[in-house]
Amino acid sequence: MKNIFRNCIYQGKNLFRDAGFSFWSLIYPLIMAVFFYITISGVMNLELENINVGIDSENPISYILEEIEFLNVHKVHEDEVFKKLDDEIDAFIDDDLNIKVKESGINQTIIKEVVEQIRQMKKLNRPFDKYDFSVDYILGRNQKANSLVIVFYSLIAMVSTYGVFAGIEVVNLIQANLSNIGARINITPLKKSKFLLSGVIVALLLNLFANSILLIFIKYVLKLNLFSEIKYSAILIIMGNLFGVALGVFIGSSNKKSDSVKIIMAITITLFLSFASGMMNPQIKVMIDEKAPILGKINPISIITNNLYRINLLNSTKSVGEGILILSLYCVALIFTSYIFLRGKNYDSI
Amino acid sequence: MVIKVNNLVKRYKELIALDHFNMEVKEGEILGLLGPNGCGKTTAVNCILSLLSFDKGEIEVFGEKMTPNTYNIKRQIGLVPQEVSVFNNLNVKENIDYFCGLYVDDKNVRKQYVEEAIEFVGLKDYVKFYPKKLSGGLKRRLNIACGIVHKPKLIFLDEPTVAVDAQSRNFILNGIKKLNEEGSTIIYTTHYLEEAEMLCNRIIIMDKGRSLVSGTIEELKSMITTSEKIVVGFLDIEDEVIENMKSIPHVIDVEREGEDYIIKFENGINNLANLLDFIKANNLTYTKLHSQLPSLNDVFLELTGKELRD
Repeated sequence: MKNIFRNCIYQGKNLFRDAGFSFWSLIYPLIMAVFFYITISGVMNLELENINVGIDSENPISYILEEIEFLNVHKVHEDEVFKKLDDEIDAFIDDDLNIKVKESGINQTIIKEVVEQIRQMKKLNRPFDKYDFSVDYILGRNQKANSLVIVFYSLIAMVSTYGVFAGIEVVNLIQANLSNIGARINITPLKKSKFLLSGVIVALLLNLFANSILLIFIKYVLKLNLFSEIKYSAILIIMGNLFGVALGVFIGSSNKKSDSVKIIMAITITLFLSFASGMMNPQIKVMIDEKAPILGKINPISIITNNLYRINLLNSTKSVGEGILILSLYCVALIFTSYIFLRGKNYDSI
Repeated sequence: MVIKVNNLVKRYKELIALDHFNMEVKEGEILGLLGPNGCGKTTAVNCILSLLSFDKGEIEVFGEKMTPNTYNIKRQIGLVPQEVSVFNNLNVKENIDYFCGLYVDDKNVRKQYVEEAIEFVGLKDYVKFYPKKLSGGLKRRLNIACGIVHKPKLIFLDEPTVAVDAQSRNFILNGIKKLNEEGSTIIYTTHYLEEAEMLCNRIIIMDKGRSLVSGTIEELKSMITTSEKIVVGFLDIEDEVIENMKSIPHVIDVEREGEDYIIKFENGINNLANLLDFIKANNLTYTKLHSQLPSLNDVFLELTGKELRD
């Protein structure tokens, strides 16, 4: 235990003072945040307009919908629905709480979540006036644009995986066939597992620290309030960190390429996953969700992005458990595979 | 016996890096592993330290089979690798303290050892420096300090003076002698003959993965036919006269090296006097003349047919 603590201190110092760590984990995310803030907020339709929802005048839930601040409720006769869906309303809710839409999008998703909530409350026989819908959606309404929010959730998801760099470094430091210092440490009485465990702890703590800096920057400098549900958001970000470190240990241990090649591999993987989760263009995420929803379900950065969006904007935690489970499976698989690669006690060549 | 290596074979695919290599190291000695670059010195050390797997042979350290998990043996070993192997983002003192802490748990003892190691390698004025701010020689000293700070019984020094200035080299060599005087057994790999001659009690000469010969410096020198070399610089001399020199008693060979001639003698007496008689008889004028005892290079040259060069 004492050994692990000492190793954490020294590995922490070594990593924290590393120029690569400072750039990729601390500075680069801030640059990206500013970049996205300036470019996207400049080109997007900034104010989120109220959502137009159609409903039959006899529908018993109409009074509930009318109470929701960000909904414009239109009384629509069932015969006119298709015509109205063309231009006037985003979705129509029938008497059985089925939703009719012409296209999918963020507004339709929000309506779906509202209806889902109403269904649940009906089932539980809870009075509707006990549920304050506006609390859950107020954030969404106040954001400059939902697209911008998706981009930022995606950015947070991406940098939560940036423990990948520290993961690569810790493997590099312990493998005699990868670094001179690895050879030196291998002849000391320090067990490889202890060094690795210390490295993983340090990688997690430092990346969480870097993530905190980014979140503080987004909240207090860019003035974007992204989180209404802290507990689940924190769990997801921590899972992202675990996934990142596990991925780094895997990249570090699975091949004998140079450090810089491994860093490029890590950047490529995380950037690609972020791209697929809508970081560069939210339409990519919409397209993937439409055409190949399974990709969104298995992409770790999408899992984090989608869940951050759902729990903070839609107040829905229903997919959080599944997301955490998938991320946990990734971590276990990556760590187990890395263990297979790392368990070799001596080397064929160094 | 501190180390016993028996018939060690290590292959890198087609290349045989160690070819039935044998080695024994006695307690308290400085053993020199001498050979040209690529002869297998570092490979041998890495196999002994169980860093490298090997194809055949046996290795015992302190009477036990060395494996990656024999931590009780590892506690008694110090390694100064060929490349400077320290944390780039820890300063001099932190680096030495980190490595010391892997062996020494007691905080006070560790503090004392770290101070002593810093003093030993002469880095007292640089304790707050990061490795990248140190000169090549000072980096090498830090590399040594990290390997010896825990006062190991057995120290491997793998070419610790490569690419260092003369001042640091002398500092390092004197330090190694001191370590040995304090009781450490030392394995010193080098391709510098002078260092091996200056430091080592016993030398193993390696070539192409094999241990060619081993013994004390005197024993090695006695293995070759040349027992004396006389270097002469002539003002003007004809080839015929050079050829006639070979008739001087005990002369084995005459070689030209730049402007000088090196006359090699086998074991015998009055070699210098005989040469001077020849010079006088042939009316030759010489600009310089001095006698040399054979060096390890002569031993290596005679054993392998090639020079031991950097």
